[in-house]
Amino acid sequence: MKRLLMFGSLFFVLILAACGGDSSETSGDSGEGGDGEWTPDQNIEIVAPAGAGGGWDTTARSVGKVLEEEGITEQNVGVVNKEGGGGAVGWSYINSTNDPHNIFVSSPPLIFVPLNGQSDLSHDDFTPLANMIADYAAFAVADDAKWENLNELFEDMKEDPSSVTVVGTSSPGSMDHMQFVKIAKEAGVDIQKIKYVSAQDGGGMTQILNGSADVFSTGVAETVEQVKAGKIRVLGITAEERLEGEVLEDFPTATEQGIDATFVNWRGFFGPGDMTEGQVAYYEEKLKEVSESEAFADIRNNYGWDESYMDSEEYSKFLDEQREELGSLMEELGLNQ
Amino acid sequence: MGAMEGLMQGIQVAFSWQGILFVLIGVVAGTLIGMMPGLGPISAIAIMIPITYGMDPSTALVMMAGVYYGAVFGGSTSSILLNAPGISGTVATSFDGYPMAQRGEAGKALAIAAISSFVGGTVSVVLLMLFAPALSAVAVSFGPPQYFALMFLGLTAIASLSDGSTIKALITATLGFMVATIGIDGQTGTTRFTFGNPNLLEGIDFLVIALGLFALAEICFLVIKRKDTSLQNQGDIGSLKLSKKDFKEMRGPMGRQSFLGFILGVLPGAGATIASFIGYITEKKISKNPKEFGKGSVKGLSAPETANNAATSGAFVPLLSLGIPGSGTTAVMLGAFLVLGIQPGPLLMADRPEVFWGIIASMYIGNIFLLVLNLPLIPYIAKILKIARPMLISLVAIFSLIGVYAISFSTFDLYLLLIFGVLGYLMRLFSFPAAPFILAFILGGMMEQSLRQSLTSAGGDMMILISDPVSIGLYIVSILSFIVPIIRNRKEKQSDQEEKSDAS
Repeated sequence: MKRLLMFGSLFFVLILAACGGDSSETSGDSGEGGDGEWTPDQNIEIVAPAGAGGGWDTTARSVGKVLEEEGITEQNVGVVNKEGGGGAVGWSYINSTNDPHNIFVSSPPLIFVPLNGQSDLSHDDFTPLANMIADYAAFAVADDAKWENLNELFEDMKEDPSSVTVVGTSSPGSMDHMQFVKIAKEAGVDIQKIKYVSAQDGGGMTQILNGSADVFSTGVAETVEQVKAGKIRVLGITAEERLEGEVLEDFPTATEQGIDATFVNWRGFFGPGDMTEGQVAYYEEKLKEVSESEAFADIRNNYGWDESYMDSEEYSKFLDEQREELGSLMEELGLNQ
Repeated sequence: MGAMEGLMQGIQVAFSWQGILFVLIGVVAGTLIGMMPGLGPISAIAIMIPITYGMDPSTALVMMAGVYYGAVFGGSTSSILLNAPGISGTVATSFDGYPMAQRGEAGKALAIAAISSFVGGTVSVVLLMLFAPALSAVAVSFGPPQYFALMFLGLTAIASLSDGSTIKALITATLGFMVATIGIDGQTGTTRFTFGNPNLLEGIDFLVIALGLFALAEICFLVIKRKDTSLQNQGDIGSLKLSKKDFKEMRGPMGRQSFLGFILGVLPGAGATIASFIGYITEKKISKNPKEFGKGSVKGLSAPETANNAATSGAFVPLLSLGIPGSGTTAVMLGAFLVLGIQPGPLLMADRPEVFWGIIASMYIGNIFLLVLNLPLIPYIAKILKIARPMLISLVAIFSLIGVYAISFSTFDLYLLLIFGVLGYLMRLFSFPAAPFILAFILGGMMEQSLRQSLTSAGGDMMILISDPVSIGLYIVSILSFIVPIIRNRKEKQSDQEEKSDAS
């Protein structure tokens, strides 16, 4: 019996710890001074609209850590995971709590998921605060594949699109698919005929290694180890210029191969829909400090992310452009709903 | 550098005092977390990531690995005692473990599980050490058509999981398939059966179904049958001692499933769950008296427990030697590696031999710790069953609710849990077996995706499914596993009749 009580209490402690960040009460903009300046009067909560361990989660946790440990904010910063619906569950949580102390991290799925008709909320319903980092896509093939560069691949695809299978981790109409479509379209491939399969849990890498699929559309960082080991080759990446770093600097961009298209996997922070200027300015300033800190530069290096700070205004414009561009591609594919 | 030298370095890491201490911390934390219905290795590892920041990478990873296999080890406890599987790898454990506990042999059941886990874990670590580099080729040898064939083989278990009516088993399996289709479809991005509810976009979590169909249904059953005296001896723990006969029974499944489980664990995506189900059915198929299975058979408990632990070590092959995570848990592990600045992949063994071999060597110590810690604790753990029935029932209900709430902190999942609880109870009432439902749910999603991946890349040509020896082999085994029992039944009936006619 004692033992059970011990288990029980341990369990509750764990749960309490997990819910800790959740307990903050909604208090609106009580910290607003007369001159429009705003400081938070309670702990800040960063929502990662996905489970532990993914890209959103790591971004949220590393930014939260720098905010707190470098003393950039006076308040504690907690990270909460709101998993589900490719982000939709977390977004509706932010939308319903509508508290300026709750912000969330997002990336291109905030554009794709609403366009796919999987969420009623889009970036218009939130306040873009600041973009932090940029990451790029890489298109990899097995080392014994016949293509030496993107142009050879796309030549084959122009002749017979069904001769090439592209694999990615996410479903059609989301990032891994659309980043490939965007580059392929610029190269003149009939994008409606591209064969794309989605494979979870590391299945993409497995499939190009065993020849079940031909091209793996993924993030740059995911390819580095296998390239070093000589198992795969990267035909092209979607950055504007070559990246820095060992191995990374050898990856050719699509642009230098004469295909004038790029794709950025941006990651930044958003708040609820109605925020005052003071609140936006507060987060802009703090996030900029994070972006410029040495601690965050180390983190960026560790994960192979690029620095890409944008303030709220610039970010909003960027997002609108992104939606227009990707929306028309998806319409062409018949995925837009 | 030779593998021997790397191994020596690894042993140095594992046997240093930090190595031993952190393995111990890891396995203890893992077992405790695994024992609680609802908390599995994923949450355990995610909780550990911030703690390890700044630690020496090999020590930290040795601890994380300990949490992982410790949780699988401990996961059997709630399956056996409460019929509340906390992780998918221990669902098959409850098939024979729970009946055994109900019979008043909870102590024996836990001891069998602990010993089988230890053997599965240890044998597979030896295999991991000898073959890890070579096996990375095996890990990527399965493409979508081969996975489809493997899942097909797994599905033949439905027939063996039905006690009584095969039709009823097929009906519940169909329901399981239907539930597996809920959510965003991976191959088209279409939302299916979500009714506009964002909570359903990622489908229904395994835990909701397992705890609903097993734990909550069991609770309803116990509440309604509370005056039934036949369940009286459920409070007994019985002796821990295993007889020579028990050991003899365990030897076969432990030997076979250590290897089979390990190989299935090596395949990304298959993992502990499929290993435990396939382990269970192969033992049932080759057993001399398959009728014992499901009623508290020693073999039926030993097989899945050996297999799921062996598969856990197997899962380290693609993770360490290819950087490919084969499951949700190993994906979080991969994240933990990256945070510590270690990139698993083909170069890990050459670049960081102390990490690669350190983890493997530490798993020997970890498995010994698990056995030594768990065996003496069994009488205390099993005392859970001594708690007054009304209290125990409420506790299981609360634990199930907390476990489900902890998945995504959403009350929506709690309502789903209740729905599955009611469904599970109704299924029991009309004797529809729950196991085929959950098997079809686990396999169905993967099976559908691999079928469609195969067909997309082949341009719709069905022949791709039977175009290579591995798939054909798997289909042959599947067909045999259907036909052999039928033939055997006929023979038995014939000999029965002969005996009868002889007697008359």
